[in-house]
Amino acid sequence: MEATFLLTLLITFLASFIGYELISKIPQTLHTPLMSGSNAISGITLIAAILIYPEAGESQLLKIIVLIAIAFATLNIVGGFSVTGRILEMFKKND
Amino acid sequence: MIEIILFVSSVLFIFALKLFGRPSTAHRANTFAMLAMALAVFSAFNFDFSKYDSAFYITIVVSGLLGVLISKRVQMTQMPELVGLFNGFGGGASGAIAYVELSNNSLVMSDFFVAIFSMVIGVFTFSGSIIAVLKLRGKLNNVNTTIANIFSAFLPPLILLPAIWEEIEILSLEYFMLLSLVAGIIRVAVIGGADMPVVIAFLNSLSGIAAMSAGFIVNSIILIVAGALVGASGIILTLLMCAAMNRTLLDVLKGGFGGTAINNEYEKDPISTSPEDVAIQLSYAESVVIVPGYGMAVAQAQSAVKELTNTLKDKNIEVKFAIHPVAGRMPGHMNVLLAEVDIDYEDMFTLEDINSEFSTTDVVIVLGANDVVNPLARTDKDSPIYGMPILDVDLAKQVIVLKRSMSPGYAGIANPLFINDNAKMLFADAKEGLENIIKSFELV
Repeated sequence: MEATFLLTLLITFLASFIGYELISKIPQTLHTPLMSGSNAISGITLIAAILIYPEAGESQLLKIIVLIAIAFATLNIVGGFSVTGRILEMFKKND
Repeated sequence: MIEIILFVSSVLFIFALKLFGRPSTAHRANTFAMLAMALAVFSAFNFDFSKYDSAFYITIVVSGLLGVLISKRVQMTQMPELVGLFNGFGGGASGAIAYVELSNNSLVMSDFFVAIFSMVIGVFTFSGSIIAVLKLRGKLNNVNTTIANIFSAFLPPLILLPAIWEEIEILSLEYFMLLSLVAGIIRVAVIGGADMPVVIAFLNSLSGIAAMSAGFIVNSIILIVAGALVGASGIILTLLMCAAMNRTLLDVLKGGFGGTAINNEYEKDPISTSPEDVAIQLSYAESVVIVPGYGMAVAQAQSAVKELTNTLKDKNIEVKFAIHPVAGRMPGHMNVLLAEVDIDYEDMFTLEDINSEFSTTDVVIVLGANDVVNPLARTDKDSPIYGMPILDVDLAKQVIVLKRSMSPGYAGIANPLFINDNAKMLFADAKEGLENIIKSFELV
């Protein structure tokens, strides 16, 4: 248990580090699509909602709260990627 | 099998970030990230789709469609609001998940604290983002910082209250949720409009951190990895924005900066000019640099900018754009508006890349920008913007400032650039002013 927790922490650290290195190289011109794109990625919390939904079913209130989380996260993912695609398309045609 | 899918998904996310590094490959980055997301979400079902009822699927489909609808309809000038709103949704979702896990399960100690953390950050992000959106829409003015200071002072006792007062303890989850909600509202409410790039980037980071901690609760590595990437991205942008204003994050979050005129006195009257004179001035130039600011976005002047750019380029005049990191209301805001009207990103320059060129530039057009071109940042130690990196447009041969009035910018101080010997004011709305200049060109 302790070992897996530490391993998870290591992965967290590595992911943050890689993220930091790669994102630092992204030019200012792309900062808005970077934000809308990372918006979409933060919707990944949908996974947590999917995982806990079956257990939450016993309580009506908790079920509704998870459904709200699902709605928020899905909006985030779909809307985020869609608008990012729209922005990046504008940069692409300049090429 | 699930592990393999998740592994591929993580790798795709990281490759997506790598591809995002260049405008020419960035659209592929989006495809990679979408694919990664689809795989990750698919894996969460663990091939068992029957566990989920119709309410679940209906919610996904309806909110997905809504997401598409919003993203197709939103205008590029509204991007800050949209990103702000989505930050709130992401944070809210993670907060809600943490709340459900806290009330549903007996979590082990470490998970319990991570879940509390996730809930607090998520709910704070949610309420803070909603306030940020209202501010960006101009529906909410600056709130006096006193309220925020009183709240901050009372926060430690408020947090400790459930420990001593047993009646609250049963409700302590809801109690903490309420505290985070109020904290988010108050914290963002005291921060002024032009500090929104920092706020939006910071909340973006928090939404990632909330997702990452949700990953700890449900033991999902992919959630941790993706959340950490978003958290890192938001922090980088936050720090870049702060550096561009020579202020610390703490100072920005403290609020109360700007919005009121401190000193708007000028020693002499500025020289005002006419669209006709500007057209003549421009037609004799060899190099022109345009400095867009929030005023361009407000006036929706992008198309007029494009038209003027075309007119100038047809006359073999070199046109460049100088974009300050905090111009507009979110990182990269100006770049997107210019890209929308087909201005080549090769013509958009950052502060570091263009500052050395101003002294050899014939004409600079300042379009709805103010504090980011205020030379006091270099010279006046007592100025609130002292030390902030600015675009050195005052060094250019001639400067035209297109602005509606002499009113101060966000920092609330006079801008001596306006009365500089090489500067002329064209008092007009950004769009109208540009259109009149273009019309005058036909007569030149």
